[in-house]
Amino acid sequence: MSYPTASLTRTLRHTLNNGLTVLIYPTPDVPVVSVRGDLLVGAVHEPDEQLAGLAVFTAAALIRGTQRRSFQQITAEIEARGCSASVNAGMHTTNFSGKALPEDLPLVLELLAELLRQPTFPPHELDKLRGQYLMSLRESEQDTRYRASQALRELLFPVAHPYRRFASGTAESLKQISRADLVRFHQHYHPTSSTIVIVGAVEPEDVLRRLDQHFGDWQGTTPTPTLAPELPPVPPLSAIRREDVVLSGKVQTDIYWAVPGLRRTDPDFYAALIGNMVLGQFGMGGRLWHAVRERQGMAYSVSSGLEAGFGAGPWLAYAGVNPHNVERAIAAVLAELALFVEQGCTLEEVDDVRAYLTGSLALGLETTGGIASTLLSIERFGLGLDYLDRYPALIHAVTLDEINAVARRYLTLDRYVLATAGPPASAG
Amino acid sequence: MQNVHIHILANGLTVLLKPMHTAPVITSWLWYRVGSRNEGSGRTGISHWVEHMLFKGTPDYPQGTIDRLIERNGGYLNGFTSRDYTAYYETLPADRITLALQIEADRMINTVFDADEVERERTVILAELEGYANHPATWLDEAVNAAAFTVHPYHNPVIGYACDLHAITRADLYQHYQTYYMPNNAVLVLVGDFDPDALLATVVDLFGALPAGPPIPPVHAVEPEPQGERRLTIRRPGAAEYVQIGYLTPDCHHSDFGPLLVLNAVLSGARSLSGGGVPTNRSARLYKALTETQLATGVYSVYMPSRDPYLFELGAAVRQEHQAAEIESVLLHEITRIQDEGITDEELARVHKQMRAQLAYGSESVTNQARMLGTWAMLDSHTRAATLLDELAAVQVADVQRVACTYLTEQRRVVGTFVPLADAAANLEQDAAA
Repeated sequence: MSYPTASLTRTLRHTLNNGLTVLIYPTPDVPVVSVRGDLLVGAVHEPDEQLAGLAVFTAAALIRGTQRRSFQQITAEIEARGCSASVNAGMHTTNFSGKALPEDLPLVLELLAELLRQPTFPPHELDKLRGQYLMSLRESEQDTRYRASQALRELLFPVAHPYRRFASGTAESLKQISRADLVRFHQHYHPTSSTIVIVGAVEPEDVLRRLDQHFGDWQGTTPTPTLAPELPPVPPLSAIRREDVVLSGKVQTDIYWAVPGLRRTDPDFYAALIGNMVLGQFGMGGRLWHAVRERQGMAYSVSSGLEAGFGAGPWLAYAGVNPHNVERAIAAVLAELALFVEQGCTLEEVDDVRAYLTGSLALGLETTGGIASTLLSIERFGLGLDYLDRYPALIHAVTLDEINAVARRYLTLDRYVLATAGPPASAG
Repeated sequence: MQNVHIHILANGLTVLLKPMHTAPVITSWLWYRVGSRNEGSGRTGISHWVEHMLFKGTPDYPQGTIDRLIERNGGYLNGFTSRDYTAYYETLPADRITLALQIEADRMINTVFDADEVERERTVILAELEGYANHPATWLDEAVNAAAFTVHPYHNPVIGYACDLHAITRADLYQHYQTYYMPNNAVLVLVGDFDPDALLATVVDLFGALPAGPPIPPVHAVEPEPQGERRLTIRRPGAAEYVQIGYLTPDCHHSDFGPLLVLNAVLSGARSLSGGGVPTNRSARLYKALTETQLATGVYSVYMPSRDPYLFELGAAVRQEHQAAEIESVLLHEITRIQDEGITDEELARVHKQMRAQLAYGSESVTNQARMLGTWAMLDSHTRAATLLDELAAVQVADVQRVACTYLTEQRRVVGTFVPLADAAANLEQDAAA
C-alpha cells in the first residue's frame, strides 16, 4: 500500500548564539502562524514536595506582568488582534505557544520573549492567580476521574517520586509558594534548554531576524540549566494494591488499573505503543472497548493509555461505569488483560495498527499547530528531522513476538494497582 | 470560505464540495436534519441513540468493521448529535476517501438495529448520561434549559432522560431512523485534496440510487414569549456554587443574529464557531468584572447559531468567599451597563479583528472547514460561512445596545443557581484539614 508522503525534512533548523534551538517550517498557502516551544524545566525540578505546583505556578505567572507591560496590557494587546501567547508547565517541561495571523507574528514573538525573560511576578497578581488555582483544585477534589487518577499515582510511585502527584500541586503546597520561590524557580529558564518552532506563512529570514532581536541576547541566569534530573527508582510492585475513593453525590464510578510503564526512549517503546493500541486504542478503543462496551454494554468510556515521556509513567486502563457494575467491570478488564498477555496480539491486529500509525501521519500535519507540535516532539526526543520518513520502517520493524513479549513483561496480572472513585458502594 | 461547489442529486441529497490542497487529506461529513428538536415526549434521546446504532453495522459492514476499516486506512471518524442536527465524519488520507463514502451511503439505509445490540447500547448510553451527571454543572444546565423552554423541545437534553432511555424500544429506534435518514434530509460536505468533478462522480455513483423519502415531520413548536423571570435552585453535593443565566433570544435567521454575536464577543471574546480558535476572554468585560475582582472563575457567555430561538447564556463558578447572589448581580450589572451606555467603537473593531483571526484558525483544517459549512447548511445555508464576516461588519454599536435592551431583559431570563449540599462541603473541609 502506498500512502501520501509525510515529511518534514525541509524544516530549517538553526541554533542562535546563546544556544536557543530554532525550527522553521514555512507553509505559504496557509494564512496562519503557529508557534510552539519548550524549556526543559518542570515539576521534576521543584526543590521539594512542600512546593509542589511551583513549576506550573511560575509558568502561569509570567503573563501576570513584565518589565514593560501589566497583565491587563498584555491581554488587551494580544486579544485585540485575536492572537494568543501563553506559557504553561508540566512534569518535565515548560511549554509556550502562540497563534496569529502572519501580520501579527512580530507581536507574538515580542511578547513571548518578554514573558519568558522579563517577568516581574506582581504580588497582587500572584494572589489572584493563586485564588484561581485553589478554586480549580477545589473542583478537582470533587471530580471522580481526577481522584481515581490521583489515588492510582500514589499507589504506583514511591514517596519521593514526582510522578506521585500532579504537576498542578495541592491546596496546601500552593498556599506555601511565595513570590521569592517563583523568582528563584524562574532562574532555571535558560536558552540552552529551549526550543522554538514556527510554522506558517512566514519568510524564514524574517523570522530569524526577529528571533535574534528578541531572544538573541538572552543569556539566562544560571550558567548551565538544570537538565532532566534522575528520577528516583520505582520499586517493582510485589502484590495487588487497591484504593477506593468515596465521593458523595456521584452516579458513576471511575476505575483505573495500572502497572509501571516505560520511557519514550526505551527500546521497548514501539512494541509497547503498538501493543497498547491493540489493547485499548485502535477501532475506537481496542480490545477493552470491544469487551467492556460493545459486548457487555457496561461503559461509555473505556480505553488504555501509555504515558511514555521523559520518564516512565503508568501503563494504564480506564473505565467509567455504573456503581453497581464496579466489580464486574474490573473483572472484565482483568479478563481482557489476561487474554491479551496469555495469547498475545494476532498478526491481523498488529497489521491494523501498523497501517493506522503509518497511514495517519498525513493527518497530523494538516494544520500549522499539528506540524509545530510534531517538530517540537521530534526535537525534544532527538528523533531527527527525517523521523517521519523513517517512521513507517520503524513501525514495520517491530515483530509480533516482540510486541507480545513486551506485553507479558509489563502487564503483570499478579502485581498491579487499582483505584476507583465514585459514590458509596450502596449508592448509585 | 470561497470556492464551494454545490450539487443537488435527483433524490434530494445536497452535496457541497470544497477543494483545498494544503495537505493530502480529505474529510467527509454527512449531516442529517434531526436532533433533540425533533423528539417528542417519552422519546427523548432517541436521535442520539440512533446515531450510536449507525456504528453498529450493516449487512455489508458488520458490527466492529466500520471503526476498524477507517482507522486501518489511516483515518479517524466519529459522530455527534445536537439539538438541531446529527453528523457523521471521517477524515482520511486523500486516496482513501471512497471508503468513507461507501460506508455512509450504505448505513444511511441499511443499518441493522440488531435487537441485542440495541439492548447493549441502552446501558452504554445510560453510562454516558451518568458520566455527565457526575459534574454538578450538568444538573444546573439541564434545569435552566428545562425552565427556559416550556413548549419547544429544546426543553430536553440531547442525551435524553433516563426514564425514556429505559423505555425506548428497537421498533421506536428503527422508526426514527426510517423517518429521518434519507437523502432528501441530508447534506454531504467534502473538503480537501480532490478534483471536484471526479469526486462528485463517485458521490453520484454511491448515493445517486438511494431512494428519496417523504418530507420529514415538521416541528411546529414555538416557544411563547416568556411572561416573567423564572428562578431555580439545584442543591446537590458539589465543590462550589454556580450561576447560570439564560435569555430567550432569536435564532440565526433573524436580522439581530449579528448584533447578538457581537454582544457575546464584547462580554467574553469572539470565538470560532467550528473549533481551532484561541481564547480572547481576558480583555473582555465579564473577565474584568468577575475574575479580575476575584469574585468568580470560569466566567463565560455563550450565544450560538440555532435553528429555532435558543438561549443567550452567562455564568460563572462562585469563589469560596462569595455568594451566588453577588455573582448574579455583577453579571446582570454588566448587561445593564451595555443597555444604558452601549459599547465602544474600539470594542466593535476588536471583535471584527478577533473574528477574522478565529475564522482563519478555524479554516486551517479540512475537518473544521467541513464542520463550519455543514453547520450552516443545517441551520440556514452554507453560504453563511462565507458571509459571516460581512454580517458582522454591518453591525453598528447602536445595534448591540438595542439587542441588549430588547432580549436581555428580566422578562426573558431564567436564573439558575447551584448550591452545594452542606454535608459535601463539610467533607471537603475535613479533606483539606487532613
